[in-house]
Amino acid sequence: MPTVVFHKQGQVHTGDVAANTNLVVRAGIRQFPFPHLAYGCGMGKCGKCACRVLRGSEHLPPPNWKERQRLAERIEDGYRLACQIWVTHDIELAQSGPVPPVRRIPMPQRETGGQGDVCHSDEQAGAVPDRSG
Amino acid sequence: MTEPMNQVEFRAALEQAIKGKSANKSPFSIAWASGKLTRAHLARWAENHYHYVGPFADYLAYVYARMPDTYTEAKDFLLSNMYEEEIGGDRHTDLLIRFAEACGTTRERVTNPDNMSPTTRGLQSWCYAVAMREDPIVAVAALVVGLESQVPSIYRRQTPTLRETYGFTDEEVEFFDLHIVSDEIHGERGYQIVLEHARTVEMQQRCLKICEIGAQMRLLYTNALYRDYVEAELPSAVLERAA
Repeated sequence: MPTVVFHKQGQVHTGDVAANTNLVVRAGIRQFPFPHLAYGCGMGKCGKCACRVLRGSEHLPPPNWKERQRLAERIEDGYRLACQIWVTHDIELAQSGPVPPVRRIPMPQRETGGQGDVCHSDEQAGAVPDRSG
Repeated sequence: MTEPMNQVEFRAALEQAIKGKSANKSPFSIAWASGKLTRAHLARWAENHYHYVGPFADYLAYVYARMPDTYTEAKDFLLSNMYEEEIGGDRHTDLLIRFAEACGTTRERVTNPDNMSPTTRGLQSWCYAVAMREDPIVAVAALVVGLESQVPSIYRRQTPTLRETYGFTDEEVEFFDLHIVSDEIHGERGYQIVLEHARTVEMQQRCLKICEIGAQMRLLYTNALYRDYVEAELPSAVLERAA
């Protein structure tokens, strides 16, 4: 069961999801990462679900044509569209606000099991704040 | 049965009601998934499918209007479902027409109701009748759980074939890609609404029955596509050997 670590507005939310999960589908049915994950059309057009992948990108397939079209050079910075990816392994993502840089950082310790949502501040979780400007 | 099922039991019963009549089992779906259809067959599918799914927001609008105002979650779901069908991103029917044009037909032919089969007209009419006449929770069970929730599993089987076997481009099959995500959300939220609000034995039985009928209607429609447009060129005996 993959663990998803989700950074948003200085907070870190952690939850387990079933293998082969689409996080926009999860948020759409009101499960973690709801209500933290912003999303819109669910069809790779609006870009509202864009997230920077901090860890676990090696387990994702290459960006598809919609991601290439919508994200362009931001793909090089580690961005993906959450609506276009199916999570099969542990992954760490950041969305909007102060985005941590793409670098290997330790996975924050989870405090509970199951599919609950565990929240920390980025500082508590040991994440490195974005200094890229 | 004197006691209503709990949510786990009721969910399993709903899934079972749909499963037996899944449209995945129709010869048209089998021919599609095994790459046996021609682009002309797929064009006829698109010309029919438009009249089934095109008014989906209309069906939901009738349900929305009759949903009790205290069922805020259910009303919001219906409204966002309508929004996503029409103006959330690309209009879904425009993507269907893009696929239809890639199959060799035209926007005019697709939107012309004279080009749907009588069975498609029957399915469309059934959807309108359910939306207008049934209890709104029963209507959600029919249209969303019974019909829309089937779509991801159908398109997950059919979409790779469209690219790899039929040679369509990514843009041409976008209609199918988007439904794998959006209909999974819609189907699951439909389940949540029905599980939450169908709390009596009578309501649960009505929901189960209409799910079963919805799945039958979709299977009827899909079987008719095969009979009306494909069977003469691809008899079932040939199809069975290919499957």
